[in-house]
Amino acid sequence: MTNDRAVAELEEFLAERADRLLRTAVLLTGSRESGQDLLQTALERLLRHWRTLSGDPEGYLRRTLYNLAADGFRRQGRLRLKLQLLRADTRPPPDVTAQVDLRDALVRMLVQLPPRQRAVLVLRYWEQLSEAETAAVLGWPEGTVKSAASRGLRRLRELAEGWQPTELHGTKRG
Amino acid sequence: MDMKTDVEELLRDGMGRFTEGVRAPAGLAASVSQRHRRRVAVRVSAACGGVAAVAAAATLVAVGLPGGGPATTHHAGTQARTVTYLVSRVKQALANEHRVFYGRTNGTDGPSITWVYGPRSRWEELTGTSCGHALPNGDCTHQDGSERYLAQGTARVGGKLTGVYVTYYNRKWSLSPEIVPANACSTTARMEMSGVPVPTSHWSSFIDATLACGTASVTGHVWIDGQETTKITGAPVTERMQPGEAKALGEKWTRGEWTLYVNPKTFLPVRIVSATSTFGGPRASYKGVLVTDVRWLKPTAANIAKATITIPPGFRQVASPASQ
Repeated sequence: MTNDRAVAELEEFLAERADRLLRTAVLLTGSRESGQDLLQTALERLLRHWRTLSGDPEGYLRRTLYNLAADGFRRQGRLRLKLQLLRADTRPPPDVTAQVDLRDALVRMLVQLPPRQRAVLVLRYWEQLSEAETAAVLGWPEGTVKSAASRGLRRLRELAEGWQPTELHGTKRG
Repeated sequence: MDMKTDVEELLRDGMGRFTEGVRAPAGLAASVSQRHRRRVAVRVSAACGGVAAVAAAATLVAVGLPGGGPATTHHAGTQARTVTYLVSRVKQALANEHRVFYGRTNGTDGPSITWVYGPRSRWEELTGTSCGHALPNGDCTHQDGSERYLAQGTARVGGKLTGVYVTYYNRKWSLSPEIVPANACSTTARMEMSGVPVPTSHWSSFIDATLACGTASVTGHVWIDGQETTKITGAPVTERMQPGEAKALGEKWTRGEWTLYVNPKTFLPVRIVSATSTFGGPRASYKGVLVTDVRWLKPTAANIAKATITIPPGFRQVASPASQ
């Protein structure tokens, strides 16, 4: 099989999956640019193994995506991530209620978590997988997933408790 | 408000909202393919750079440039005196070059090691703490370890020393493409210096040539691990990317920089710092920095053997690095 044919097949494979995969990658990295970079890295590995891959390519791709993210995605410095988050182009328009604002803030707070905790929370709350399924995707013991999720949520709660809507939208509460 | 429940629910909602409207660009697979080709090309280019530098240095020595004339013409004051002093040590330095270069590199893209002796070279990328490779089932292999991921350099193939590229994770190897020599003072050679260490033993000739043509200058004296070194900084070089690369990376320009910390007695590098950055496009700019600590070892049979790649039995030969 030529490389061109593999590329064509990969394009076909991505036709219905690419948007969802990119959304996942954006959540894992905190910005659209970094998400694209992460997804491309995972796809590059998929393409490299396309000919020899046995089984479900999507499963392979997802596992690669999450493992790269949990690994800290080598090209992403934490500072760079935070800077990108400040100018994230995926920010929805401001909302009038504090609760809606808190939803946005929580997702932005994800980037402050260690990569492994972030990957677990995206699998649990975006992919809606159980702890056992999450453990299977990451190849970790279930106990590790459980503790990572617990620590991640606890940290988010701490951040959420200190959250003020003025931080995001410059409007005063009350 | 019940924070325990609410945070989970709000997080779930927030994730959907945050990524609302995110669409993957068209031609994603083609773009990934281009990116893969570029990565392979960069690695091949990095491996070829050493021979380019050796060839360039050899040419310059042959035509007598290391005599110091051009350097004193183009540089004044301290710079000129330092260059003359350094050039005067070339003969002594060349004697020291009969040692084996061993460099250990750490940087943005993970650790690597470089062994060089004469025409032999072996550059190996290690996985370090990063997930260097994912198996077909998606698991990260070698994570938190320090195992070989790929190698580039020379191997004995059919009794002849030949350029090869080996990927350990999928047990494949290929012959490296033909090497095109570049002048030590050329933009190509300067750009190659901004990557992984140029696999050459002839550092003193290379340094001498770059000082003579003005593409590097002495910028100070620095103590490294209790040893005084002369700091030599290469002039940064900026190039416009090829259209395919620019599109794949979302950036327009690439810039290379390098600094050598040289033992003033032996004229050999103790540390090499190189940096490559890309910028000028819609993506966030990127800068990768590599720091290589160098040791010069005795040319024992064991050390010389380490400067050659051994292709493990059972590895399959493929047409080119791009097929790996």
